[in-house]
Amino acid sequence: MAELKGYMGKVLLIDLTEQNHRLFPWTDKDRKRTIGGKIMAGDILFQHVRPGMKAFDEDNWIVVTTGPLTGSGCPNTSRFNISTISPLTNIVTSSNCGGDFGLSLKRAGYDAVIFTGKAKEPTTVEITADDVKFKSAEDIWGLKITESQEKLPKDTDKLVIGPAGENRVLYSCVFSGERTSGRGGVGAVFGDKMLKAVTVKGVQTAPVAKPEKLKKFNRKWVKTLMTHPLTGRQLPKMGTAGLVSAMQAHGILATRNFSAGRYEDFEMVSGEELTANHLLSNSACTTCVIRCGRAVKVDGKTVKGPELEILGLLGPNILNNDIEQILKWNYELDEWGMDTISAAGTIAFAMELNEKGMWDCGLEFGKTDNISETFEKIAHREGIGDELANGSKRMSDKFGGKEFAIQAKGMELAAYEPRRAVGMGLGYATANRGGCHLNAGYMVVLEGLGLDVDSLTPHGKAAITIMFQNLMEAISACGSCMFTSYAVFPGFLVEKPNWLLTRAILTAFPYVGPAVNILNKFTRLAQINIPLIPHSKALNLVCDFHATLGTLLTVGSHGYNMERMANVILGQKAGADKLPKRLTEVPQDPNDPRTKVPLERLKKDYYRARGWKDGIPTYKTLKRFNVDMSKDYYDRVVREARADG
Amino acid sequence: MAKVTVKLFGVLRVDTGLATSEVSANKLGDIFKFVNEEITEIYEERHRDDPELERPDAISFSDAIVYINGKRCPRKGRKLSDGDEIWLMSPASGG
Repeated sequence: MAELKGYMGKVLLIDLTEQNHRLFPWTDKDRKRTIGGKIMAGDILFQHVRPGMKAFDEDNWIVVTTGPLTGSGCPNTSRFNISTISPLTNIVTSSNCGGDFGLSLKRAGYDAVIFTGKAKEPTTVEITADDVKFKSAEDIWGLKITESQEKLPKDTDKLVIGPAGENRVLYSCVFSGERTSGRGGVGAVFGDKMLKAVTVKGVQTAPVAKPEKLKKFNRKWVKTLMTHPLTGRQLPKMGTAGLVSAMQAHGILATRNFSAGRYEDFEMVSGEELTANHLLSNSACTTCVIRCGRAVKVDGKTVKGPELEILGLLGPNILNNDIEQILKWNYELDEWGMDTISAAGTIAFAMELNEKGMWDCGLEFGKTDNISETFEKIAHREGIGDELANGSKRMSDKFGGKEFAIQAKGMELAAYEPRRAVGMGLGYATANRGGCHLNAGYMVVLEGLGLDVDSLTPHGKAAITIMFQNLMEAISACGSCMFTSYAVFPGFLVEKPNWLLTRAILTAFPYVGPAVNILNKFTRLAQINIPLIPHSKALNLVCDFHATLGTLLTVGSHGYNMERMANVILGQKAGADKLPKRLTEVPQDPNDPRTKVPLERLKKDYYRARGWKDGIPTYKTLKRFNVDMSKDYYDRVVREARADG
Repeated sequence: MAKVTVKLFGVLRVDTGLATSEVSANKLGDIFKFVNEEITEIYEERHRDDPELERPDAISFSDAIVYINGKRCPRKGRKLSDGDEIWLMSPASGG
């Protein structure tokens, strides 16, 4: 049990092979080291994984975690996390979700649940406070997401996979309500374990250390979020779709498989078009005050609307200007249970392969009449779908075209074309889970979207990327939505872009790198709580442990270094932080050589500041951030990583 | 006076319903003046039908992010030429 408040104090380990369960040991010391969420999951996996372990091995664990703020009453804290070895990347993936499963898991008395083994037949696991039951899922195996959810007990919250997960599509996902753990193929690991669904219900609540102070604090936090120009205005009014036109303006809207950053017909697939002609209402995760979700109509049904990524990747990136098609495809991908980013990125790659005569698959830029049937083929691994189900990296191994397979470490990139946002390019390359915009540190928010820092200069980008990666890691570990971190930027920087003061600050921004690096290295120096990052103070009020900004940075650094080391143990080679040559060697604007990602220069700064060599943390760095590993074991796995990396 | 095209994006367009206008102007500052006048007119028209309607006072057009012919331009005194396309955008972020 936990002395610390905010936690339920129990972690459940469920063995699908033996159909039994037990408690997994997790102490307050572990809680303080990791906070929870993805760092907790990463820590559990770091201790569990061994060289050579693969995603579809029986002893690959699926670790579902919550954070201490989950269910605490703090705004935007219904998030939970699923981590496992990814079949898409063969390294650790952590996939965050806003559905209610995490809240209910805590109500059932657990901070986390781990799945190991493989069931012999399709299985639903039912978790309550008193028991864990294993039931046949034969009756729902093969059904799409909504049908599966409807056949499960109504008074429970659920995790469910669709046909894509059952057929081990390498980028299939897991649903909680309409929300997904989308990236890295966690659905395929569920499917491989024959785990069709997990249900949970309970009525418990986590204790809060200082409830009255927390209520007052939360009122202020909600007000901050609701009055900030990004979280209080843009995201509620337009959702993430509002970025399409901003990205077009800045030249970072992925177009034609990332061969350009602007699309002539962008307005037809923009947030403005979505809001004016298709939006029915906002939707939101429980506890969310931002409400960035969209509800739209498809075939007469009210369904989840598209986010920026799908508008970009199934719009400009495949030269499609029909937003109604995108709404329909978004719904179809959800129902099959597939990650929209990887599915769309893989299709764009296939289109270019076809165009170049490298794979006759029938997919063409601008041709939309065969996309729906292609999704179905992917979900069932039929015909061309069997190749597409493996993602763009494996396809490039087979058909060629590595220079335009837009992925990092095997994971397809989000819709931000990084050649005019080079810090974002560094983030994509160094993100532990692969080509993910959030795990990357989301530098693009500074590089032309919310703010206007010089997006082509490499100066300062490594230091700020590290700071953002660590901070976002820790905010996620709390159980908070990443979007709460946008309020980190003082409102005037966003609202008054033309002020002299704003312009002076943003012009100077790239040169603060050395100062930021001092904080990156000596994280404990930041022994303060600041209103712009309220998560650390929330931890004090909920859990009653002394947390500061320095705590978030320390735990975030621990998480990032540990997850990187887990990846090295799993076989990630030195030099794995790469981007395809299209992004690093071909300028987006042929007349401006700066419009490409100067990755080697950026990585040099990044590794020096991180205390890494060739993408691998030094032993000294691991010690600095409390990553526990024997020197012999470290030397052995690093030697292997350098052998032919 | 230069004849230019003004386009609004983001929350600016959603709040006002104003998408594209042809405007005669000498410098960027004139554009802000024009847009504010347009908004006032649109608001007053709508307000007659719906007295409850609040003016979109969250928007300050002089604080919009400005692109002229695809390049960001923060200077209100910037002179305009015939055929310029001016984009006024609200800040955006997401994931």
